[in-house]
Amino acid sequence: MPQTAAQSETASRTTPSVILRARGLKKTYKMGDETLTVLKDIDLTIQAGEFVAIEGRSGSGKSTLLHILGALDASDEGSIEYQGQDIAAMSGGDRSRLRNTQFGFVFQFYHLLPELNVVENVLLGPMIENSWLGFASKKNDLHSRARDLLEQLGMGHRLRHKPSQLSGGERQRVAIARALMNEPRILFADEPTGNLDFETGRQIMGVLEKLHREKGQTIVMVTHDRSLARQADRVLVLVKGRVERADATASNDQ
Amino acid sequence: MYKLHLILKYLLKRRIAWVSLIAVILCTTMVLVVISVMGGWLNMFKSSFHGLSGDIVIESNGLAGFSHYEEIIDRLKQNKDIAAAVPTIETYGLLRFGQQTTLPVKVMGIPIDTIGTVNNFPQSLFRQHVLPQELLQQNDLSPEMRKSLENELHEPPSFDLLDEVATPLDKPPGDVRLYEQTDNDAIEVGTVILPTSFPRDLLKEVRSRLRYDAVRHRLVFRGVMQPQWKAPLEAVSSDSAFKQAIAALYDLSQKANLITYDHEGNPTGRYYGMITGAGVIGIHRNREGEWEGRDPYKFETPVTLTVLGIQAGAAIDVGNKAQRDYYIVDDSRTQVWQYDNNYVYVPLDRLQKDLGMEKQEGPEMIRLENGQFKPTGRTLSSPARVTEIHIKVRKGIDPNDEAKLHEIGKQVEATVLSVLNGNSGLITAFPPQVKTWQDQQRLWINAVENEKLLTVMLFGIISVVAIFLIFCIFYMIVVEKTRDIGIIKSVGATSTGVASIFLGYGLVIGVLGAGLGWLLSYGIVHNINFLHTQLGKYLGVQIWNPEVYLFDKIPNTMSPRDVAIIVPIAVIASVLGALVPAIRAARMNPVEALRWE
Repeated sequence: MPQTAAQSETASRTTPSVILRARGLKKTYKMGDETLTVLKDIDLTIQAGEFVAIEGRSGSGKSTLLHILGALDASDEGSIEYQGQDIAAMSGGDRSRLRNTQFGFVFQFYHLLPELNVVENVLLGPMIENSWLGFASKKNDLHSRARDLLEQLGMGHRLRHKPSQLSGGERQRVAIARALMNEPRILFADEPTGNLDFETGRQIMGVLEKLHREKGQTIVMVTHDRSLARQADRVLVLVKGRVERADATASNDQ
Repeated sequence: MYKLHLILKYLLKRRIAWVSLIAVILCTTMVLVVISVMGGWLNMFKSSFHGLSGDIVIESNGLAGFSHYEEIIDRLKQNKDIAAAVPTIETYGLLRFGQQTTLPVKVMGIPIDTIGTVNNFPQSLFRQHVLPQELLQQNDLSPEMRKSLENELHEPPSFDLLDEVATPLDKPPGDVRLYEQTDNDAIEVGTVILPTSFPRDLLKEVRSRLRYDAVRHRLVFRGVMQPQWKAPLEAVSSDSAFKQAIAALYDLSQKANLITYDHEGNPTGRYYGMITGAGVIGIHRNREGEWEGRDPYKFETPVTLTVLGIQAGAAIDVGNKAQRDYYIVDDSRTQVWQYDNNYVYVPLDRLQKDLGMEKQEGPEMIRLENGQFKPTGRTLSSPARVTEIHIKVRKGIDPNDEAKLHEIGKQVEATVLSVLNGNSGLITAFPPQVKTWQDQQRLWINAVENEKLLTVMLFGIISVVAIFLIFCIFYMIVVEKTRDIGIIKSVGATSTGVASIFLGYGLVIGVLGAGLGWLLSYGIVHNINFLHTQLGKYLGVQIWNPEVYLFDKIPNTMSPRDVAIIVPIAVIASVLGALVPAIRAARMNPVEALRWE
């Protein structure tokens, strides 16, 4: 309906739509008798189309925060709303579906399945999403999409390779392609360059930035590297389990 | 979709999975082979037990037997569920075989022409059934030969004497040896080479009637030595010792106590045919499955069977001891040890008369004070008796249906009681018992059934090890794949989905393993006798000893029922083995799984 489309457009222009909102997140780990508090009362919001970096030293709880935001882990207290829906209140199946269709993950150690080749790794999301018949009926579309994605990421020549035959940068590109396969609303990246040399890391950051710039991809990235964090729209600095400083956007900073 | 994909990838890429597959194959094979062989053995056992007994047997209470059996049989034949009923007599006897051996045997008197209507006895006869059938299997038979063998098979079994024995004259006349038995040894008193001109009928008589009674240390001449035979016999040899022996023989033969008479009081001139259990006369199959001990002399020498009559009142009739000479005409192999090694079979009417169980009539006598007997003028009679009646149920009733047999057994029991009580006017104190063939062989069948159960259980328990093996291997795979589980969970796989990967993995291994195990065991079971022979040939191993297991061949059939039970169990066991690892994998926290190194 044209009317509704116009309304939503107006809404998004006036108040940028919040896609993810966290309130009072708390997370503790039991280490023997001691309780280690990793996250203390974290509030944050992610707007649709934003590139947010969460910066912090190792042990600051930034990865835990990312996992909780991405519905991979649960917080002890507090709530997360994805488009107004409380993730904690969802069933396990719904959360899995959320991870499958709405979120994409890129990890420091790539986390590709060693038995599958590049295309199969990229197709993992749709494979999980669809039944055998459903997948078979869309097979050609999905394959060409996977190929396009890999092509765009410069991996078009490596479709049938196994992850073990690829370099670190190549693996990360495959991981990004896998994360983008189901067109996620939010892409979570956990130290995506942490395991790569400077030049390769720069290229991977370039890929993420381009995604954000050209496609308006919402990205939440965790890094310990301040210079990388600065490439984001907004930087949240995590110190001892709290958001110490929510920096203005990178452009403001410069 | 990803599940199937991953299952296949894992199966193909992880060699360790093949170990669990092989374990399932081997266990399925093992259990199926054992259950088939043991089950086949049990079935062979049952059918051969059944082979010598009617479906239902009326069994007398003791050796004296029961009377009015003909009336009972007539009445039974009116029952529409009963196809045939045949009387037999079972007793104990002593079988003298050659000069050295006397064996205790069980004696069964059978009406050979009708016994086949209630059991498979005719099929157990070597010469009259097994041999012609074996010969017919040969390909290079002339049509005439084939025809005569087929005729032989179609002829009803008989106790008829063998041609060799019945007409020894076809053989070239040989020498006659005479021995005199002393305390320690048999001394040869004369050897006579008979001239070819020696009268053949005379030769036959001499051969068949001269015998040595080892017990009395005497030369024995069976039957009456005819005066006209003396001179030609003496004339055969100029040897004086021989002449003396013949003369002594003649004298002895004139004395009644050394002449045997048959029951009718006629001098024995006639031989009867006897069928023995193969084992009784030492016939068996050797390791290679060839017959051993079926030596011609066993069939050319008469044997003596001694039985003791028991009066209708169950009193032992010591005076009524019957010794009778038989020629063995055939041997029976029912494949049941207790029959084949203990039983001899003789014509029913012959045995009945020898035991004094035939219908007897005579004047009633009273004993006077002076010890003399005086007829009272009345006639006493005692009806004929037998010890068993074997009954065959009509076609269409499964003899393995114990409940149905018991039901018919009840009717049989009623018939027996009504006939016996009706005839005596009294209630029979110890009526014959009515048993089904299973009841009769309960002990043996139970023993084999228990052995089957025990063996299958043992191997089943061994197979449980396979479940543990699958469990361990799957657990290993889950631990090894922890990070992968984290990955697929992070991409959106549900816990159920992850669990079903491993359960499906177990299912695939179970189905493949059980299926291949089925094929393998089918191959083994169907070629088990060939494999066993090869094992014996190359390794000198003989597992199946025909003497112990009673049958020459290892059972080689597989029951679809067993397959229908074992194969699903193997599949379920595989899934079960994968269950705990699958649950572990499903419960895994994706974040922790991802951190796994």
